[in-house]
Amino acid sequence: MTAKRLRIFALLAISMMFLLAWAFPIIWSVLNSLKTDSDVLAYPPKLVFAPTLEAYRDVLFGSGSILPNLLSSVIISVGTTIVTMLMAVPAAYALARLRFRGKKFAGFYVLATQMLPPVGIIIPYFLVLRNIGWIDTYQGIILIYLSFSLPFAIWLLVSYFEDIPFEMEEAAYLDGASRLKTLWRIIIPQVRGGIAVTVVFVFLNAWNEFLFAVVLSGNTVRPVTVAMFNFVSVEQTLWAKLAAVSVLAMLPVVVLGVVAQKHIVKGLTVGAVKGGGRR
Amino acid sequence: MTSFKPTRRTLLKTGTAAAALATFGPGILRHASAQDADLAPYKSAQIDWQQVSGETITVAVIPASYFENLITLAPQFKALTGVDVRFEKIPPAQIRQKSVIDLTSKTGTYATHAADPMYYALYAANKWVEPLDTYLNDKTLTDQAWFKLDDIIPAWRSANGIDGKLYGMPYDGEVTIQVYRKDLYDAKGLKPADTLEAYMANAAALNAPNDRVWGAALRGVAGAGQNMYIYPSIFREFGGEWMKGGKLTVNGPEAKAALAWYVDIMKKYAPTAAANWNWPDIADAFSQGTVASYIDAHSSASVINNPEKSKVIGKVAYARWPKGPSGKRTTSIWNWGFPINSALPEKKRKATWLFIQWAASAETQARTAHKFAGPTKRSGVNRTSVWKDPDYIKLMNGFGENFVEATMGALQEDTDVDWRPRVPQWPAIGDTMATAIQSALSGQATVKAALDDAQRRIEPMMRG
Repeated sequence: MTAKRLRIFALLAISMMFLLAWAFPIIWSVLNSLKTDSDVLAYPPKLVFAPTLEAYRDVLFGSGSILPNLLSSVIISVGTTIVTMLMAVPAAYALARLRFRGKKFAGFYVLATQMLPPVGIIIPYFLVLRNIGWIDTYQGIILIYLSFSLPFAIWLLVSYFEDIPFEMEEAAYLDGASRLKTLWRIIIPQVRGGIAVTVVFVFLNAWNEFLFAVVLSGNTVRPVTVAMFNFVSVEQTLWAKLAAVSVLAMLPVVVLGVVAQKHIVKGLTVGAVKGGGRR
Repeated sequence: MTSFKPTRRTLLKTGTAAAALATFGPGILRHASAQDADLAPYKSAQIDWQQVSGETITVAVIPASYFENLITLAPQFKALTGVDVRFEKIPPAQIRQKSVIDLTSKTGTYATHAADPMYYALYAANKWVEPLDTYLNDKTLTDQAWFKLDDIIPAWRSANGIDGKLYGMPYDGEVTIQVYRKDLYDAKGLKPADTLEAYMANAAALNAPNDRVWGAALRGVAGAGQNMYIYPSIFREFGGEWMKGGKLTVNGPEAKAALAWYVDIMKKYAPTAAANWNWPDIADAFSQGTVASYIDAHSSASVINNPEKSKVIGKVAYARWPKGPSGKRTTSIWNWGFPINSALPEKKRKATWLFIQWAASAETQARTAHKFAGPTKRSGVNRTSVWKDPDYIKLMNGFGENFVEATMGALQEDTDVDWRPRVPQWPAIGDTMATAIQSALSGQATVKAALDDAQRRIEPMMRG
């Protein structure tokens, strides 16, 4: 009994250590965001200090407000997620269920688009968008984001679709349902968890994207990941404000994570145990 | 999701829409009342400022107070010329990448941008930007007697020129100087160093990590504009020549001695973390009283004198670079200049030149410096005449003892056009050198191994 307890205690201590290592930057950001610039630099680091919301006020309502950037990020991430899901669900279903010529190739091709390193295709993307006049537009950025979110979503969803026993579909056909109706009424409710997981990941990837955004955006469309970089200026690093923006940028992601946590955990295990190696 | 309408594309091209959007965009112009501003000093120039009225140009700058001040004055430029300027603020790490993409693809997005002097060799070799003499010599575009090109700091002009032709007009710049804690130096009876040897000795005398004071700090973090910003000064002071017999050489005996000095001072007398510091980190540490001296841009004086953060106000003094074994002092000749994008149609190029002429003029330089109404005044003005203006000197002297003398002395005597190797391959060479220097600073490689390796990597870049 005591040996078991000891083991639990040891495991707990080890996990706490890992947790602390991961949580430290976040805790540190939150603390710094509540300090004044002089408190940020104080040594030894102040753990007890008079918290102030000054940094938040500055970044939200000051001259360099990031509210328009947060709005940009929301439009881009939500837009990307919606378009991705509208296209990925039917595509994944087709790859999982239908028999058609070139299916294997199509599946491989979807994956192959992910093999190019993003840095290598950023200039071609810039030129394409430039030629159609879509630089610094929402449709332009969302279009480019689809290039990585769509293959990712399709591949994630395929494994979920494959987990659904074909018999369920057959039963629906016997009852006279069309394929589309079956997909909508029978299949999709079965993969709700998988869809939720995919939505979260697609949203997260779009929200956190920086490399494409910094090149393809401008003054009109500038997501928060790009805007917050301006707090690291050539003159000085505005630590408190940078921390405040980081916390604000983290917030939607954390909320989404908490809300979807149940699905994420379930989704990941479902995919891992049943579907993973079949293709 | 109204943004999915393709009409947005046509809308974007018109200045009115751009202005309306800018209200929501991050680069908001605060509308100073342009009507009230006195435009007479500009109108005394014998040119037609309104000749391309109605044009719109986009200018890429970095987020920095010296550009913010210029952005604040933009309505005056609009009133003077009828030209609309949209500013886009891009972080320094990305502005090179974005402007090079724009220039290579000849899209003409940025009429001009805050340009790195080390890039003109590349720009000129590809004819991406215009030689400015065409514009300077055109009497309809420039009143030379009014503009007074010769008044602009010569070192910065030569930094922005290739084969005697100017490609970027200096707007704001800096020199590197010694910054030191006068109180600590006085307490030990030390003088600011006249030689690199003395600088090392001073650092040794003041180094007391147990009391949280380190002797010195230099930028250590890898980057063409970071450790490869400090090292070239040391290299030149040790007598190094980048080009030996027409071949770029980075591993000669002077190079090894220079890097050894750099590694030595950083290892012995700088905070351990300084190997990863850029200059804002050094200035932050200095302002908290943990560093006794550093050598970096004179513009850092505003940070270490910021009453909200700094604990060392009134205890700071300045001096020029210590001399190296060659007897030379070598400052940075860094400046942000404005080139003209060749991909633009003629009218826009003219509008861009008018903007550049306005921004670099003595009047605008003064209005963004000591005459600026806001809290942050510029300390890197581009004109000798402004540097001699008593009002400007008074403002600069507020930074501490000997500031103006050290800065002016460096500007006039310590500049060196071959401070860094000016070749089109610079972007790759700068990165290679930065990595080599870092591997030596961090102790991963010996000085010799680091430089020999850099030489091996650089040779193929210079071929072909």
